[in-house]
Amino acid sequence: MTRTPLRPLARILEARQKGENPDAIERENIRLRHEEMRDKARVRAEGRLLVLGVFFFCAFFLVGLRMTHLSGSAVEEPNNAYLGPSITAQRADITDRNGRILATNLVTNSLYAQPPVMVDRVGAAKALAAIFPDLNEDRLIEKFTGERTFIWIKRKLSPEQMQAVHDIGEPGLLFGPREMRLYPNGSVAAHVLGGASFGREDVHAAEVIGTAGVEKTFDEYLRDPANNGAPLQLSLDLTIQAAAEQVLNGGMRLMKAKGAAAVLMDVHTGEIVSLVSLPDFDPNDRPRPLTEGVASDSPLFNRAVQGVYELGSTFKIFTAAQALDARLMNRETMIDIRGPLRWGRFRISDFHDYGAQLSVSDIIVRSSNIGTARIAQQIGPARQRAFLGSLGLLEPTPVEMVEASGGRPLLPPNWSELSAMTISYGHGLSTSPMHLAAAYASLLNGGTRVMPTLLLQDGPQHGERVVSTDTSAIVRDLLRQVVVRGTASFGEVPGYAVGGKTGTADKPRENGGGYYDDKVIATFASVFPANDPKYVLIVTLDEPEVHTLGEMRRTAGWTAVPVAAEIIRRVAPLLGLRPQIEPSPASGITLTSN
Amino acid sequence: MSYLEYNLKTAPTGLSKIFHLNWPVILLLTAVSCVGFLMLFSVAGGSLTPWVEPQMKRFALGMVLMFLVAMVPIWFWRNMAGVAYLGSLALLLLVELFGAVGMGAQRWIDLGFMRLQPSELTKFTLVMILAAYYDWLDVKKTSRPFWVIIPILLILVPTYLVLRQPDLGTAILLVAGGGIIMFLAGVSWYYFAGVVASGVGAITAVFKLRGTEWQFLKDYQYRRIDTFLDPSSDPLGAGYHITQSKIALGSGGWTGRGFMQGTQSRLNFLPEKHTDFIFTTLAEEFGFVGGVSLLTLYTLIIFFCVVSALRNKDRFSSLLTLGIAATFFLFFAVNMSMVMGLAPVVGVPLPLVSYGGSAMLVILVAFGLVQSAHVHRPR
Repeated sequence: MTRTPLRPLARILEARQKGENPDAIERENIRLRHEEMRDKARVRAEGRLLVLGVFFFCAFFLVGLRMTHLSGSAVEEPNNAYLGPSITAQRADITDRNGRILATNLVTNSLYAQPPVMVDRVGAAKALAAIFPDLNEDRLIEKFTGERTFIWIKRKLSPEQMQAVHDIGEPGLLFGPREMRLYPNGSVAAHVLGGASFGREDVHAAEVIGTAGVEKTFDEYLRDPANNGAPLQLSLDLTIQAAAEQVLNGGMRLMKAKGAAAVLMDVHTGEIVSLVSLPDFDPNDRPRPLTEGVASDSPLFNRAVQGVYELGSTFKIFTAAQALDARLMNRETMIDIRGPLRWGRFRISDFHDYGAQLSVSDIIVRSSNIGTARIAQQIGPARQRAFLGSLGLLEPTPVEMVEASGGRPLLPPNWSELSAMTISYGHGLSTSPMHLAAAYASLLNGGTRVMPTLLLQDGPQHGERVVSTDTSAIVRDLLRQVVVRGTASFGEVPGYAVGGKTGTADKPRENGGGYYDDKVIATFASVFPANDPKYVLIVTLDEPEVHTLGEMRRTAGWTAVPVAAEIIRRVAPLLGLRPQIEPSPASGITLTSN
Repeated sequence: MSYLEYNLKTAPTGLSKIFHLNWPVILLLTAVSCVGFLMLFSVAGGSLTPWVEPQMKRFALGMVLMFLVAMVPIWFWRNMAGVAYLGSLALLLLVELFGAVGMGAQRWIDLGFMRLQPSELTKFTLVMILAAYYDWLDVKKTSRPFWVIIPILLILVPTYLVLRQPDLGTAILLVAGGGIIMFLAGVSWYYFAGVVASGVGAITAVFKLRGTEWQFLKDYQYRRIDTFLDPSSDPLGAGYHITQSKIALGSGGWTGRGFMQGTQSRLNFLPEKHTDFIFTTLAEEFGFVGGVSLLTLYTLIIFFCVVSALRNKDRFSSLLTLGIAATFFLFFAVNMSMVMGLAPVVGVPLPLVSYGGSAMLVILVAFGLVQSAHVHRPR
């Protein structure tokens, strides 16, 4: 652009010649330039105003459009029952294998206050205190007249209480719908179910979250709205569970035991039909975890799954089964059982003196520690470890409970030859009753691995082969012999051909110094019917003692075996097993017809 | 380019100024105020107390002040811009130090006969100082960084003080109003593009960083944003106002329930029914027609102001008029958007309709300045 100089020399000279003031020219030029600039600025400002005008128009248009939309819209009342998008209520039910309810939901209401919308704050506080004696009137008045705009008052209300609060007629007292978890059978199957509590809470809903047991394991499934309320069906049978709990509880008291556990498992499917751990609790009112003492003394402790114990002679059958399966010996092979068996500083002795030699069958039937240890010497630690591992005894059980991962077997730090000998009769390796049930089931169902499960299965779940079918058949027979003529003679249940193996293990002292003489874990691992195994039942009693025939008895044969037998007597018919009429013994008279 | 360079002899003097006032604007302001009286009457359940009477008194006082301000030549007000600006800053500081606490925020000074809210005053003294600044500044320098930073500081100082009260609504109005004047004064596009870009960036960052330990806002502030985006998520809590006012607007329909027939506002569903949310009452009782009519009145006021500004060759007068019109526009645009759920709830009154002394007086005095600019324009 060409700029006019403010003081053009030619014009100034000309003006000077004419005697005019040259400054006037400068002023004139300044005025012209300012006008020019002003006009440009105006054009620009008007352009900008136009932009702003368009913006304003858009804003007007938006507001008008919104007003049109709102005016045309139907009145939409706020729905107090509206469920917040982040909190899903409606937890799925849990049922037993027959569809009977184990856990369901109950609709209730919570009570909260919004003082800013209250009509009469003090009056409302007084009325509330009259309905709920546990609320302090002065504290309520203080809260209601304070700064707070939102106050929780009660988490759960009964219908009567709700009506009474409703009748106060105070708009600032409001109810929030709540779902609470209800276990209609009380403490039955408490340890399996675990429990639930409120998670995130707001006015319209509260999240119910599982805190233990299958409620926690399947928490996501139970809360998933995609399942459309389909219940979670467990393999438990409510009737059998109740019967087993009742008998076990009676047995525990009779034997003065401080705890007991029972696992009833289908040998072919791995389904757990009943799982009991005593003492138990009511999942509707789950007790708080112990803050002091031993966690395993809490009723929340699941002895069947979490508790790992040295289960004693019940392990002998694994040793015998492995030796037979590996064809190291047959059931009639005679083993030297002269004792005590010395190994370094360690001595292995038997409960009774059984003479110089016993057959493999009789070692199981009579429960000889020395004999079993000798068999284990022939097997060797490496093979023993591999075999026990194939039965799942060396890692936590895969059963669907959060507690199962806590039931990690305690292995010897160094699996030496001595460890192999002690483990052969059930010392030096601690497992849970659930481990034992799964291992027995695997041995007895024809010899294939089966995994314990709490979910209903649709058929046999045979896994990899553990022992041959023949070995499995011999093992069945050996276990039957234990009941017929061995340590578990109280285990006989007419019509159900019970087989099993007892185990009495001294309890280790808590401070690590050896074992108690007068405290045992008594276990009976049983199978029925022994001629065609269907179920495995493990019964464990913690510190039982019973005074019989003038003597204090603690061994499993006197304690766990009769309790297990009573459970089988009760549940076998419920399981749909027909009592088998034993073939009448040979009369000794041979009838001849001729 | 200042007034001294124009021929001012044609500007009216004495009482004849009254004939040269911008009468359409005065009539429109009165009409809007009357709508306000009607609504306050209705909200109070058909009673002059407690709101209509004081509001009418303030309106009368405001009108008198407006005429007085209009009679004083605009160049006097231009010279007073700096004083007014500093005065309002001083008042803001006074509130900071001694102000009464109302509704959890320090906002006013008790003068005995009324409560003065300095933040209301600041909205217009800021417009004055900015208009005077750009009037004084050589046009060529408008977009130079140094001369851009000065008005930005002029805007940010009162904004900071207002935010401390805390009053987010006024702070937003201050920044937006000041920005509009800078825009009209011809500050380069690039500055505004930069501000918009960094604003978008900041908002993205605020949302991206949510939940991490780097998050900018407090959790409750995020919840407010959530509530704005979806009020039904918390209809009894923070979303209460919005939900209730939407009900009011919806139940008003096209022609409304009729005067004094509104239920939503009169049954105390809305705590702020006579102040920020008074538009819901109007919409419920007079429906879409009533709402659009009020919007039209406001639009006409803006329109007449813009026409007056365009005809005014004096840069200060022109910028001042446009600035006041823009601030007025922001007032009701933000309020209506807020009530209709288009913007978050930030506490901006509906100008001349909402109950409130300071806002009414200040707006009328500001329009007194508009009138003065109109009367004393160079011809």
